[in-house]
Amino acid sequence: MKPARFEYVAAESADEAVSVLAEHGHDAALLAGGQSLVPLMNMRMARPGVVIDLNRVRELDTIRLDGVLEVGALVRQARAQRAPEVAEAAPIVVSAIGQIGHPAIRSRGTIGGNVAHADASSELPAVLVALGAEIVARGAGGTRSIPAEAFFVTHFTTALSGELLTHVRIPRAEPGVSAAFVEVARRHGDFALVGAAARVRVGADGTCAEARLVLSGVAGAPFRAARAEEAIVGRRLDDASALADVERLVRDEVSPTSDVHATAAYRKRVAGVLVRRSLEQAAPR
Amino acid sequence: MSARAPSGEERVVQLVVNGEKRRGIAEPRLLLVDFIRHELGLRGTHVGCEHGVCGACTIRLDGEIVRSCLMFAVQADGATLETVEGLAPGDGLHPIQQAFREKHGLQCGFCTPGFLLTAQTLLEENPDPTEYEIREYLSGNVCRCTGYVGIVDAVHEAARVMRTQA
Amino acid sequence: MSTGLLDGRRFVGASILRNEDPRFLRGQGRFVDDLELPNMAHCAFVRSPFPHARISSIDLSQAREAPGVLGVFSWADIEPYAQPFVTQLDTRPELRPCTRYLLSKDVVRHVGEAVVAIVARSRYEAEDACDLVHVEYEPMPAVVDAERALEPHAPLLHDDIPDNTYAHIEWEAGDVDGAFASADHVFSKRFHAGRHMAAALETRGIVADWDLSTGEVTCWSTCQYPHLQQVFVGMSLGLSARQLRWVSPDMGGGFGHRSNTYVEDAVVPVLSRLLGRPVKWIEDRIEDLAASTHAKELVVYLDVACRADGRFLAFKTHVIGDGGCYPSHPSTSLIDPMTAATLMPGLYDIPAFRYVVDSVVTNKAPAHAYRGVGWGPGHTAREVLVDEIARALDIDRIELRLRNMISDEPSTNVVGMNYDGGSYRESVRRTLDAVDYDGFLGRQAQARTEGRYLGLGISPFVEPTAWGSKAAGLAGIPIQFFDFASVTMEPDGSVTLTSGTHNHGQGHETTLAQVAADQLGVQVADVKLVSGDTGTSVRGSGTYASRTAVVAGGAIVRAAGDVRSKLFELAAHMMEASVEDLELGEGVIQVKGSPDRSMPVATLAYLAYLGGPSLQPEGFEPGLTSTRFYDPPDTYANGVVAVVVEVDPEIGVVAIEQLVAVEDCGVMLNPMIVDGQVAGAIAQGLGSALLEECVYGEDGQFLSATLMDYLYPTTMDVPPMRIEHIETRSPVTIGGVKGVGEGGTIAAPAAILNAIVDALQPFGATVDRSPLGPSDVLALIPDVAAGR
Repeated sequence: MKPARFEYVAAESADEAVSVLAEHGHDAALLAGGQSLVPLMNMRMARPGVVIDLNRVRELDTIRLDGVLEVGALVRQARAQRAPEVAEAAPIVVSAIGQIGHPAIRSRGTIGGNVAHADASSELPAVLVALGAEIVARGAGGTRSIPAEAFFVTHFTTALSGELLTHVRIPRAEPGVSAAFVEVARRHGDFALVGAAARVRVGADGTCAEARLVLSGVAGAPFRAARAEEAIVGRRLDDASALADVERLVRDEVSPTSDVHATAAYRKRVAGVLVRRSLEQAAPR
Repeated sequence: MSARAPSGEERVVQLVVNGEKRRGIAEPRLLLVDFIRHELGLRGTHVGCEHGVCGACTIRLDGEIVRSCLMFAVQADGATLETVEGLAPGDGLHPIQQAFREKHGLQCGFCTPGFLLTAQTLLEENPDPTEYEIREYLSGNVCRCTGYVGIVDAVHEAARVMRTQA
Repeated sequence: MSTGLLDGRRFVGASILRNEDPRFLRGQGRFVDDLELPNMAHCAFVRSPFPHARISSIDLSQAREAPGVLGVFSWADIEPYAQPFVTQLDTRPELRPCTRYLLSKDVVRHVGEAVVAIVARSRYEAEDACDLVHVEYEPMPAVVDAERALEPHAPLLHDDIPDNTYAHIEWEAGDVDGAFASADHVFSKRFHAGRHMAAALETRGIVADWDLSTGEVTCWSTCQYPHLQQVFVGMSLGLSARQLRWVSPDMGGGFGHRSNTYVEDAVVPVLSRLLGRPVKWIEDRIEDLAASTHAKELVVYLDVACRADGRFLAFKTHVIGDGGCYPSHPSTSLIDPMTAATLMPGLYDIPAFRYVVDSVVTNKAPAHAYRGVGWGPGHTAREVLVDEIARALDIDRIELRLRNMISDEPSTNVVGMNYDGGSYRESVRRTLDAVDYDGFLGRQAQARTEGRYLGLGISPFVEPTAWGSKAAGLAGIPIQFFDFASVTMEPDGSVTLTSGTHNHGQGHETTLAQVAADQLGVQVADVKLVSGDTGTSVRGSGTYASRTAVVAGGAIVRAAGDVRSKLFELAAHMMEASVEDLELGEGVIQVKGSPDRSMPVATLAYLAYLGGPSLQPEGFEPGLTSTRFYDPPDTYANGVVAVVVEVDPEIGVVAIEQLVAVEDCGVMLNPMIVDGQVAGAIAQGLGSALLEECVYGEDGQFLSATLMDYLYPTTMDVPPMRIEHIETRSPVTIGGVKGVGEGGTIAAPAAILNAIVDALQPFGATVDRSPLGPSDVLALIPDVAAGR
């Protein structure tokens, strides 16, 4: 399985990458960690005429924490997993990264690459939508910030249009807000059959004031279980009948498909279970 | 291993491999694992799947384990590589290799180089790993022969020996 | 037949570290892709994207012009130089001969079938040229279900296999109908064992070097049986053994998958011939998954006639083997269904038994042997039913098995298998202790009150090993096997062994050296094994089916005995003693009771070659070498695999809490290596129960196309294991050795499946298929399956 020929450009800056991308359009592919792109190229399912290697673009390799956690696209997953800034600002990002593949994948795979690849079963997209993150993109026309929920369109398709994903901005954790991520995979490190990310704000009276409940693996993009979110607001997270309602509503509102690893019926049922479990984990103790 | 000049889209790739300066020629699409095996003549790194799952191609690049089937050789220009051939001192065996032998951590030997380098990297980061930590760290390396029992025992043993030597 | 292997043994039975390890640890193994020959070119194949189609045209013109291309070949180009494979067995007239063209001629019958071969200066360029080959296909309906393939109007795959049935075989013994008529209960089961495969970590490969000046051909390939490969490829290419040398170098796993003659093994040598240069083909993983061989997909119908007290009176079974589109060559696709059927009685004392076997063709990759063969799925089907019978009759599952189990003494069963005695019952007792059976039952009950679901599966097994002519015949596949070994003591006292087996992880360079060292009083380090090369090792049938320890070990014992006799003859002459007064010591031959009267073996060796008539006895033929043959009687290992699981009934995830294996493979050559074989087989058995499946869509598309879909068990999936040994020496093999290697693949799936069903008993679960992913585990619960 050897890739087809391509022209190779090792970009030295984000602007250079953007201009080469603009020049070649769909015939160009951006190479970050390569853990998703190179398998496709080796199988000849992807045949870009031009490969733009981002690995020397140092400016995309930064992690900053002030009002918001900003992670550069080229930050390796392993580095993000270990970074104190990420642990402080967004601990469920750390646990989600821990479910991505294996150490050798994470040592090379990048945050930006994983997010831009937009695999519907991937952990980070669902977590970013749950956290209300934003994706920063730079194109020939300038820079813009895209809310995560609008960023993931469908299978392997994002809102990027001739643009380079430069940073991910994640709101930092705050008092009264907690988050949890749970998934079921066939093996440790595999893409999840279903994943559930929950971010909840609990009020002084102990009831849920705000909820973002996001599923991976049940649609082409991360799926917000909006009806379940409505149902849990105003109720306690240790209220068994509230959780049962959430589970049932999630089951009803998702329409997953079947594949070799799981049936649609399984994904529907387990989606409900995992959202319930993510709320149980996120509940204040 | 060629001393010729690059032609067409080929580029010169210069890197340090197992402590030695090496040079080779690669067209952009040449996979790093193929460059290591055929251009540099180091055949201890193996090809098992070419899509990053089996771990047989695992090497160390700038001190981190990577899948050499998922990199292009041209990306490694200026890098420092370590392959299994660099592990043993002279004609002896590295403690990790010795532990694999003593605990029957290999049968056919095809996955072994990838496991050795992964274990080496684990023990650098975590010199006293638990059984779970060993299994989790090695979960990206597939062995079809051993059922992993001897491998996990070998890493425990290597950790013990290396801690006493430290 | 005792031969002195046990008497005074020093190395056999010891966990000696392996001679072969250093080169693998240092990355200096010599695998096929490591081979570089001058002027060598690289091959890639264009493969069918359709499961069943007529080829209406092949246009190679653009491919031929592509950069780096040296040749582009379809069957029309190969045909003058090679015969297609015709797969049949003279001893089984029920088989319809099936013809397979080495590259597709007119029709493709599975996704991945090789249609065109391209040779170029690099694999990269060969694949570029593959993209430029234009094949026009007319798709035809595909059949991907063996039972549907048998229906009257099913699409037919081969003109000369009119009902898609490659073989239909029936057999019975005892009064089966009478037993069923008089039974208090009849229990029935349909079990579908899923298709999976060996997926060895090294993919297949071959380097062929056809020397046009001498007409001699050397091939190096991933092959478990080089001497047989030489014969079968030679037949196709019209080459005699003198002209064709086959070498199997180091190999990254075999597992039965490489005890097969593939079309590529015959095509690539022809390409070398046509191009006048060596040609290398290395299979990639996509090809391995889709287009090598799969295994073990069976539909098993089993009926058990039973007395009220649970005593089995008779079995009836119909085994339908999904053989894929061509029988594997030359062993045929009987390998799974026949072995499943013939071993169905297993460890149970059944006086009457009937089997019907259908080996069916479907539009899937061919099926071939993979560790444990049909014994695995057959055992699984039977043991799942036995647990169901236990629940139905409210008899403890262990008690029911013991009530029906043969004794530990040798006996011959209804099929004619001569079980040579073992620890069938003893191993069960050991297992119950190891898992603390009664304690488990208490824990299980307690856990249920807490909403946790634990389950236990116990799978006692018998395993035909040492596959030789007798074993093959009893399994229903009568083929002649033959194995030689040669033992030569060199003038310096070191020993060279050659054997017709092949070492690919089993440690032969150590274990067989242990045998020879004991026989000749030398050190293991003084013994070198040469095998895997028709040019330098004696003929044999290869390594698979847990045979090497017995067939090669036995032949070595015989040959070493001849060498030892000559040493004794010489020593007796030189020490003026009689042979009966001498014994073998540590590197010496000495007079019994007078250790000061001894001669070093190394000195005797030197004198045996160079001592001349003045020192050698009259009529002594100089030299110390012997080649002997061994085709063993049938012999059987046994053991138990037991598993405790916890199942999460909300998400179908199975966690293995405990795994115990008891293994009795007779006399063990090297316990460390036995442990490795037991653990490796269990891991593969676990994979086949929970993770691994070669899935085809309804339309015949191959869906398990990459390792993202074909799931290997990893360090997180295979639990730590407790392995115990029993050694019941075989009374019928040389040295009492039985052979080891497949128990885990045979027995572990049943243990796991039964444990899962046991865990989910409160939900009324039953199982009728494997493998079980989380989605399938949840669907075992009737309420879930019904959508409640």
